[in-house]
Amino acid sequence: MAKLEVRNLRKVFGELEAVKDASFEVSEKETLCLLGPSGCGKTTTLRMIAGLETPTSGEVYIDGVLVNDVPPQKRGIGLVFQDFAVFTHMNVFDNIAFGLQIRNVPKGKIEAKVDEIARLLDLQNVLFKRAKGLSLSEIQRVAIGRSLAVDPKVLLLDEPLSNVDARTRDRMRAELKEIQADIGITTVYVTHDQLEAMTLADRIAVMNEGLIDHLGTPNEIYEQPKTLFVARFIGSPSMNFIECHLTEKDGKPTLEADGFSIDASGLSESVKRQPIGSELTLGVRPEDSWLETEKRSAEAMRAEVQLIELLGSKSIYHLKIGRSPLLVKTYTAAGVEVGGTVWVALDKNKLHIFDKKTGGAMI
Amino acid sequence: MKARQALGPAVRYILVILVCLWTLTPVAWMISISFKPPTEWYSPNIIPERPILDNYITLFNSTIPIGGTYFMTSITEVITRPLFNSLIIASLSTVFALFIGFLAAYGVSRYRAGGTFALFFTLLTRMLPGATFVAPLMVYYSTLGFIDTYPGLVMLYTAVTLTYAIWILKGFIDEIPPEWEEAAILEGATPWTVVSRVTLPLVRGGMLASALFIFILNWTEFLFALVISVTQVRTLPVQISLYASAVGRMYGPQAALGLVATIPMVILGYAIQRYLVTGFTFGRVR
Repeated sequence: MAKLEVRNLRKVFGELEAVKDASFEVSEKETLCLLGPSGCGKTTTLRMIAGLETPTSGEVYIDGVLVNDVPPQKRGIGLVFQDFAVFTHMNVFDNIAFGLQIRNVPKGKIEAKVDEIARLLDLQNVLFKRAKGLSLSEIQRVAIGRSLAVDPKVLLLDEPLSNVDARTRDRMRAELKEIQADIGITTVYVTHDQLEAMTLADRIAVMNEGLIDHLGTPNEIYEQPKTLFVARFIGSPSMNFIECHLTEKDGKPTLEADGFSIDASGLSESVKRQPIGSELTLGVRPEDSWLETEKRSAEAMRAEVQLIELLGSKSIYHLKIGRSPLLVKTYTAAGVEVGGTVWVALDKNKLHIFDKKTGGAMI
Repeated sequence: MKARQALGPAVRYILVILVCLWTLTPVAWMISISFKPPTEWYSPNIIPERPILDNYITLFNSTIPIGGTYFMTSITEVITRPLFNSLIIASLSTVFALFIGFLAAYGVSRYRAGGTFALFFTLLTRMLPGATFVAPLMVYYSTLGFIDTYPGLVMLYTAVTLTYAIWILKGFIDEIPPEWEEAAILEGATPWTVVSRVTLPLVRGGMLASALFIFILNWTEFLFALVISVTQVRTLPVQISLYASAVGRMYGPQAALGLVATIPMVILGYAIQRYLVTGFTFGRVR
């Protein structure tokens, strides 16, 4: 079991700066997710940890030892690839035993190890089947098993569920979570799927254009996104953003947009300190507001209902306040109809305010 | 409706039969003539009136009469030596071409070795008729003492078929995701282990396909063999061309030897056809 540390990793491919500056630590048995859209540099970061790419600058430490100059096979790393890279010309046993056979481990030991892994990953029944005819979930487990057979210190997974259809993905994600609990190994998991990251990670590093925007627990990232990008990326349906500016109304600082106004006196100092007229982006999650059929709260705003997505007990209401669209996810309410008018109130404790220029969060 | 449905397969069968006739008629003619006595060599009948085995026997003993006729011929060698030569030269050249071709294809596919031009350049050697090379080749070979030697022909055959090996195998290697090799490296494999345990087994179909293709080219090559060989390394195609007498070509023995020369090819093709059909059976898992 081991600790992984990455310091100021940078990777440039010709003109493209794939990773600008990535630093993080993964402590023993912890799972860190690198989360971000495609092209954000997360896979490149992973490949640098594995040693498949040489960093332009920066260091990788495993257990406190600098491994920049250590070849991939000596780093003690297991990597599960996006397409699993399970060797179809071999059976499951040979796939799992591959690393051990190469290292000339005695036969008895190999069998014992493969047996142990097959039991852990529930592969005993297909052990002598050719890899070609296996189901995706089995192939995933073979890939994980092969990486684990050589007792890696760190396990890396590169979008293992990205090419799988939605239903299989749900099942495999749950399986992965279970396996993870069973093996307890320092893990870095790369994904562009926030749900996977939320489910599997102890901590998440949200990457954007080669930089880590936010590193924190799934909860922190959801509740207090540090940047506009993180706020937009995490959560489904995604957060509402309303472009507004700071004004003063009746002596109180107020956030205003077309048909929209919200008292900012209760908000944090950093917002109130902004000069009047500052351009700000207000963010509110669809879950953090509620609807009223008649105006009851003082701050409720008038909105037009444009579309209702019925999810069951809850619905997603597509509203329009002035010119700003707003999604509200809440309990399905009687008497709200498409084309009608409702009153919407935002949970003031759950508002996010970002500097429109820098994208940085103020609260 | 039914008639129209039956029409598709019917047309297909007719086409298949036409193609078969087209390709098999010369073979049938060859088989037929190999059993005919000299008097029937120019007869249009496909079935010999007086079938004989002399055409085959004369391949091993050129002094016997064929169908009662003695031929004034300069042929003294029996076919065992040319048969042996052809087998050795074609096999060795195929093995070398595949070995070098695989390494080159691997380099080109994985590391873009030589850039795009080098790959294209290997094809250039096939864009001129072989006869263009004959004169300079003779000069080089006689200087180097390669005329009428095994290394001479083997090197030449390897060189001219190499480009096929490279192009065919490159296609197969391109199909293997680089991640598979990276996975093997992470498991502790050295570059050579990666190639021997992962890449090579996966391109087996391609290796066999190009082996058959190149072997056939080598086996049937005539021009270079004619120029380079004198007596020591005479191959079957050259031997076939030698069956002539003072009064004309000896079609019977030529046909007989042609048939003998075809047999190893048919056996080889049959043995590996399974791999030819399933050449590209590997690939990504999803």
